[in-house]
Amino acid sequence: MIIELGHYCLALVLTISLFQFLVPALGVRYNSIGLMSTSYITAYLSFILVCFSFASLTYAYVISDFSVSLVANNSHSLKPMIYKISGVWGNHEGSLLLWVLILTFYSAAVAFLGKRLPVKLISLVLSCQGLIAASFVSFILFTSNPFTRLFFPEIEGEGFNPILQDFGLAIHPPFLYLGYVGLSVTFSFSIAALLIGRVDTIWVKWVRPWTLIAWVFLTIGIALGSWWAYRELGWGGWWFWDPVENASFMPWLAATALLHSSIVAEKRDTLKAWTILLAIIAFSLSLLGTFIVRSGVLISVHAFASDPSRGLYILMLLIFFTGGALALFARKAASLKSGSLFQPVSREGALVINNIIFASSAATVLLGTLYPIFIDAINNSKVSVGPPYFEAVFIPLMVPAILLCAFSPMLSWKRAKLENILERVIAVFILAIMITAIFIFIYGGSISAFLGLFLGLWLILGTIYEFFIKVGIKLSFTKFLLRAFQLPRSAYGMSLAHLGVAIFVIGVTVSSAWRIDIEKPIQNGESVVINDIELIFLGIIDVNGPNWIAERGKFEVIRRGKNNEYLFPERRFYPASKVNTSEPAIMSNAFFDLYVVLGENLNNDESYSLRVYYSPFINWIWFGIMCMALGGILAVTDRKHRLGYSVKKNPKAIYK
Amino acid sequence: MRIIILNFLYIFFTISLVYAQENLKVNNIEAKELYEELRCLVCQNQSLLDSDAPLALDLKKLVLYKLEQGLSKEEIKEFLVERYGEFILLKPTFTIKNILLWVAPFIFVLFGFFLTFLFLRKTPVSKEEVFTLTEAEKEKLKKVLNKDIIE
Amino acid sequence: MRKIYLYLPLIFFFILVIFFARQLILDENPSKLPSVLIDKSFPPIKLNQLSSYKLFNAKNLLSSGDPSLVNIWSSWCAPCQIEHEFLMKMSLEHNVKIFGINYKDDNKDAIEVLKLNGNPFYAIGTDEDGTQVINLGLYGVPETFIIDANGNIRYKHIGPILEYDMNNIILPILNKIKRE
Repeated sequence: MIIELGHYCLALVLTISLFQFLVPALGVRYNSIGLMSTSYITAYLSFILVCFSFASLTYAYVISDFSVSLVANNSHSLKPMIYKISGVWGNHEGSLLLWVLILTFYSAAVAFLGKRLPVKLISLVLSCQGLIAASFVSFILFTSNPFTRLFFPEIEGEGFNPILQDFGLAIHPPFLYLGYVGLSVTFSFSIAALLIGRVDTIWVKWVRPWTLIAWVFLTIGIALGSWWAYRELGWGGWWFWDPVENASFMPWLAATALLHSSIVAEKRDTLKAWTILLAIIAFSLSLLGTFIVRSGVLISVHAFASDPSRGLYILMLLIFFTGGALALFARKAASLKSGSLFQPVSREGALVINNIIFASSAATVLLGTLYPIFIDAINNSKVSVGPPYFEAVFIPLMVPAILLCAFSPMLSWKRAKLENILERVIAVFILAIMITAIFIFIYGGSISAFLGLFLGLWLILGTIYEFFIKVGIKLSFTKFLLRAFQLPRSAYGMSLAHLGVAIFVIGVTVSSAWRIDIEKPIQNGESVVINDIELIFLGIIDVNGPNWIAERGKFEVIRRGKNNEYLFPERRFYPASKVNTSEPAIMSNAFFDLYVVLGENLNNDESYSLRVYYSPFINWIWFGIMCMALGGILAVTDRKHRLGYSVKKNPKAIYK
Repeated sequence: MRIIILNFLYIFFTISLVYAQENLKVNNIEAKELYEELRCLVCQNQSLLDSDAPLALDLKKLVLYKLEQGLSKEEIKEFLVERYGEFILLKPTFTIKNILLWVAPFIFVLFGFFLTFLFLRKTPVSKEEVFTLTEAEKEKLKKVLNKDIIE
Repeated sequence: MRKIYLYLPLIFFFILVIFFARQLILDENPSKLPSVLIDKSFPPIKLNQLSSYKLFNAKNLLSSGDPSLVNIWSSWCAPCQIEHEFLMKMSLEHNVKIFGINYKDDNKDAIEVLKLNGNPFYAIGTDEDGTQVINLGLYGVPETFIIDANGNIRYKHIGPILEYDMNNIILPILNKIKRE
């Protein structure tokens, strides 16, 4: 009964969303405030209804109701509760429902916080959100209904892919979707601005925090995804340039560009058409990602059960929203007045270069991901575009961005004098080179290791230096602290995010340049030595989990002659899905990870194949990404970005 | 005399041993580089390095064997391309067919700079600050918002 | 002056859409790949003798003057067992000369299969360590090649040959090559 109610609510949402699209739009057309203000109510209403719908599906998973086809296909009564719940979005249908839930949540949030925005603007935004919601709800209802019942209920579910039973993976889709769908808000704002034909300070002030929110969630989602890949896939790698990963990375790159261009739009009232275009592109890339993951047009590690009819539907959505938005942009963008000018050497100039680089990177990832499709269509041959390509083109693109990032915050707006900051830049440069050289001299390393380390240090030193200058360098200590406390949070946010980039770069460089791989058969009592660590194999124990059985290896780690800890890598077998998986054991600390994978039992019963990866500084990668996300959060909570801040007194005032 | 010969032999032996070990190391590094550039054909998007599939293991063995035979990385890649097609290469070749793929990133960047150049040139130099807000509005803004928006 | 460059994003987007639409309409499984060896001569491979069965080598592949099949199989591969029935049918009823490559198998198991289910092969060779079939670009068993009288590869079938494949793909191609 609850399932049917959930189903019914979702059908109701379709109608309400269509209403939310049509009525406010008509209101704008005929200048009727009454019609326009219906958008608030419909936004709240659809959120509440989708909440209920989602809750009912979750309920079916929690009580393992195997009369629901989706639950029977994807769940199992023996699964731990957390994975039963995460199972709701661990499949195509349920994940779409989560998508819609988040979309309606954002609409409701815009309606709630936007009470003081011009009614015309907010109605157009919510109308656009309503259209997106309507099309996705109809997608769910007509092609991928999660509420379908089985005529003959199953007694036991078919489990789900055991490799997906991991905490990091279980919670990463909500974050990712909060990011993807968050970009719909900036998209809708852009559509509204194009329709109204005006981009002003209020608009930019509103778009920036929403971009930041989406960006923060997207960043966390990507980090969780890669953390999962690192810990679960068992190869010690953390990024594989798989189409699915690229599908989340492209919107991230576009959102990063948008984040920076909106600063220029906000502070300098220029680059407005470009900011709007970026907002459109960022959301379009999330839609494109949805298309890639669910249509099966590309080979990918992780694709949902693909179905061409679903692919066709998403392609139509893509054509409608992206095509429509770009056509609107082409017609209307010329009428947006671009504001004040700036010199090439200025903060604006640096941010423009940042935008060129990030937009080019997004385009490059897009090209690389889709190239197999292009070449197949053009001369009917099959090629692969894999990590070696992306690494070869992506690093040269990012190097100038990082070089620029260290000192562009020191540039002044409008027109900067290079000689003013040259001294500082040179000081930072020399210091960074010296530290890198000493490090490389001690530990050895290739040119790329040198470059990576240098970039990381350069960015760290530059960011810290810039922060001190911003506070005031020649102040007394107490005065300095006082002023540092007075700095707006967005200033801290920027510095922290840039430091995060630097930490990330160092993590990537060190973990790849000084990684040690060992692959060998090992027998009971034998050991492997890596640097100052000795790993002793102490045998195999058989263990039973809730829905698996495993061979668990016991390894003792001795570091500098002392017993540090024991590691227990496993080879699991899941009877329900007849899948073997390998659970690596990782000894992790701030400076290195020791990653142990237990392989197959080799022919003579005694020995097992063993893989060990020693990855120094690898955790800096995720730590760096978390710093970026934290920087974003700091910036969002800045007083001046606080959402719902009153700009106009009269809420009913119609825009212009 | 005998001591000298023995010494020679000893030196020769150690050198060749060291050389052999070095060679093995070089082979291993080369093999690893090759594994990274070759696709595990039966897996979804994994390189040979990251795969345990039986075919991947066979291909790894083949690569090692060919390296020991003294074939270069390029020759081994060619050998595999003849049999499995360019699909096996994770790094597309530098050929006319793939030229777009390799130069596109730089075209993107150049195009970006070109557009910026047009934009900066077109923006009238004499034009000063254009604010869409009126003075009164600006005052209000100043009160409510952080002061650094209007510098 | 119309600002044509503002239309560029739209144009690029529609080019993308065309490629996507093509891919969707074709609905090919992107992981199924055509062989690059089509229209090339059958590569020289060195196989071992299986018990007293006739050894498959380059000479007897060319001897017949008719197109023939080369089938790669194993006793441990379940689809190969399903396919066996149709190989038998082709060999007995349609007089197709089939050459077998026994892949990564135990000789004893292979012989048992042939004794139990019949022997559809004109000649057999074994590739115990799976190094020889790499020359054929093998992905997995079973795979079947159609070779013309001149020893050129004309078609590659991935996966088991079932009744439908036999009647609608393999036999028609064999007949077409024969008529040439």
